Amino acid sequence: MNKKPNHIQPTLSAGAFPSVQGMWKQHQSDAAQSSLPFGAPYVDERLRGGITQAGLHEFFGGTKADSHAAAAFALLLAWRLPESDAGIFWISGDKERQTSGRLYPYGLSEMGGDPARMLLVQTADLRDALRAAADAIRSKAASAVILETHGNARLVDLTSTRRLALAAAETGVLALLVRVDAVPMPSAARTRWRICSAPSAPLPGNAPGLPTFDISLLRHRGGTAPFEARVTWDHATRSFFDAPLSGGLSAIVTDTKTGPESRQRA
Amino acid sequence: MVEKQRGAMRLAACDPAAHALGLTAGMALADARARVPDLAVFDHDPVADLNLLGWLADGCERYTPACMLDPPQGLLLDITGCEHVSGDEARLAKDLHARLSRHGLTCRIASGGTPDSAQAKAKYAARAISDVPVEALDGGNKVHKALRRAGLRSIGDLAVRPRKPLAARFGKAVVVRLARLLEEEDPRITPRRSLPIIHVTQNFAEPISRTNDVLATIEMLAGDAALRLQERGQGGRRFEIRLFRSDGHVARLAVDTGTPTRDAALLMRLIRERIDALSDPLDPGFGYDLIRLEVPIAEVLANVQVGLETKIDTDAAAAALIDRLSVRLGAERVRQFHARQSHIPERAALERAAQSDASKADWPKADWPKSVPGEPAMRPFRLFETPQPIEVTAGFPEGEPRSFRWRRHVHRVTRVEGPERISPEWWRHPRGYAPGNGSLTRDYYRVEDSEGRRFWLFRRGLYDEIERPLWYLHGIFA
Repeated sequence: MNKKPNHIQPTLSAGAFPSVQGMWKQHQSDAAQSSLPFGAPYVDERLRGGITQAGLHEFFGGTKADSHAAAAFALLLAWRLPESDAGIFWISGDKERQTSGRLYPYGLSEMGGDPARMLLVQTADLRDALRAAADAIRSKAASAVILETHGNARLVDLTSTRRLALAAAETGVLALLVRVDAVPMPSAARTRWRICSAPSAPLPGNAPGLPTFDISLLRHRGGTAPFEARVTWDHATRSFFDAPLSGGLSAIVTDTKTGPESRQRA
Repeated sequence: MVEKQRGAMRLAACDPAAHALGLTAGMALADARARVPDLAVFDHDPVADLNLLGWLADGCERYTPACMLDPPQGLLLDITGCEHVSGDEARLAKDLHARLSRHGLTCRIASGGTPDSAQAKAKYAARAISDVPVEALDGGNKVHKALRRAGLRSIGDLAVRPRKPLAARFGKAVVVRLARLLEEEDPRITPRRSLPIIHVTQNFAEPISRTNDVLATIEMLAGDAALRLQERGQGGRRFEIRLFRSDGHVARLAVDTGTPTRDAALLMRLIRERIDALSDPLDPGFGYDLIRLEVPIAEVLANVQVGLETKIDTDAAAAALIDRLSVRLGAERVRQFHARQSHIPERAALERAAQSDASKADWPKADWPKSVPGEPAMRPFRLFETPQPIEVTAGFPEGEPRSFRWRRHVHRVTRVEGPERISPEWWRHPRGYAPGNGSLTRDYYRVEDSEGRRFWLFRRGLYDEIERPLWYLHGIFA
């Protein structure tokens, strides 16, 4: 299902052999152009393989109350990256932490992540946060950097986002920008998403089920048309799967391997 | 300059013109006024004097890092092995004299094999130590008077006398001081600050003022320092840069690293950051004519074989990044998760500074619960530090929540699971278990509202513990 990204073959001037550096650069750009699939066939088909791993992506909450969904979605996307030693940086300001609460490692672990890989950076203001994010992206220490910002901050503009985007393109780090309680403004992000919580497929006893999101692509620099989808996160495979938009039960009940039969009620 | 001494206003210092009129320090102000009626008098400010001396010492560090104040008016520089920077001793003295004169200061410069000798020569303006009067012994008035009465007027007179009778007559301190003056014993000076392990210096014939030139020079010095650190098998933990302005002012920059390093490129990044973070930007004035890089703290750093294909060590990169962020934001702002033995949700997880690697080994290895296939998370991914009070409508007193109001928004509950009962840690309570002892029991519910948002709510207190239990929102599920 996943299409390989199209590489532009470098044209060699007559008589010239490719230099070692050139080959290395080519190798790097290959790595930089690799895309990160969501795991949900419908979404990946629309995105032609997934989102660019070496790039900046923006996530907005649908309403103020959906900001947590945007944050959760960004986190889950970062866990889609292959496991490596490189950490996941979560950068937020004092204000964000006060209004949104702190990350809770037990929940993160149950969702399929490894809390030991997380590094939390809490800054006094947005300026510091943007700088810390740029540094984290530029260093080779991170596999993903998530920056959470609150409100329509003037600092998160075209210039600052381009700085992050360029750094991400250079190092191949997945840079995710979670915008809480903000309206989309021009930015250098490769994709822009609106994330809302969606009703989950209930478990027996009408218990809340697996995390489900309504995602809509608002903007794509590669020219992909905007679309909407409903996806559910599966902890075990650490991937999303397409949830039926009707919100029916079929998606989860028919899947016997991950079915709710094994479930024990507390 | 006047100062109150023993209840009377006395002259503390006077300028050359006053000297010419016969005024001397220590004279009562009334007497001086009687002699010179239109005497201009200012208050003596010893603190300002000391500050000026300190400022001069800063400037003098261009010649040597070993500099010592000799209040009230002296400065001692240990120039052993440092003369070559200015050429030789005489040129150094000339340069120093020129610089001090530029500020309208008069000075006497003398050099000697020991600080005492140089100090005495400068103080008594003597060419050779043998010409220095016996007062240089600092033995007190009685000793000086006795020596003079014996016909011993200068150090030269004393030098040829046997020491033992001298010690018997005037005490050991006088003999020790004499030995130091005669350069027989070198006490070394105690510098104002500890000497750096490594220091590299660049002199300029013409002062430079462009920031880029300054940075380029620092980069060159950093390269030199890195080589010397490598020879020693060390890496610096602290780097200090001193920018000596041609007018005597000295600007100081310092950067710290969490792990020893001798990577000039990394150092340059930190220095650039430091310059950017300066509250008042560097003011080159008429330019810097000397730049010095010092490494005051260094630790062992083994040589690392760098492979042909540069393998990026993420651990090292992470450590470097954590260092940088910790330096800039404060160590407590860069954290990692840590588990703690508790089943009270907010107590079970801690965050600790990521940089304090020393004690990392002592921390319990976190055993986070693994995800169960097909099961949603039983704990939220976000937790509120202080549970958020909410208004809940429940079907019946001990029942599940039907709807709740949080942050002025009413959420209608469509799916719910619970309760999960978490009792307080009564064993920590001095009186042990009793209903309602210590804290209250919490009943947790996982709920989903009509729009698909998932929350973690709890009711604080059972109905037999408390009359009207309150509801709180504690966390958010993905």
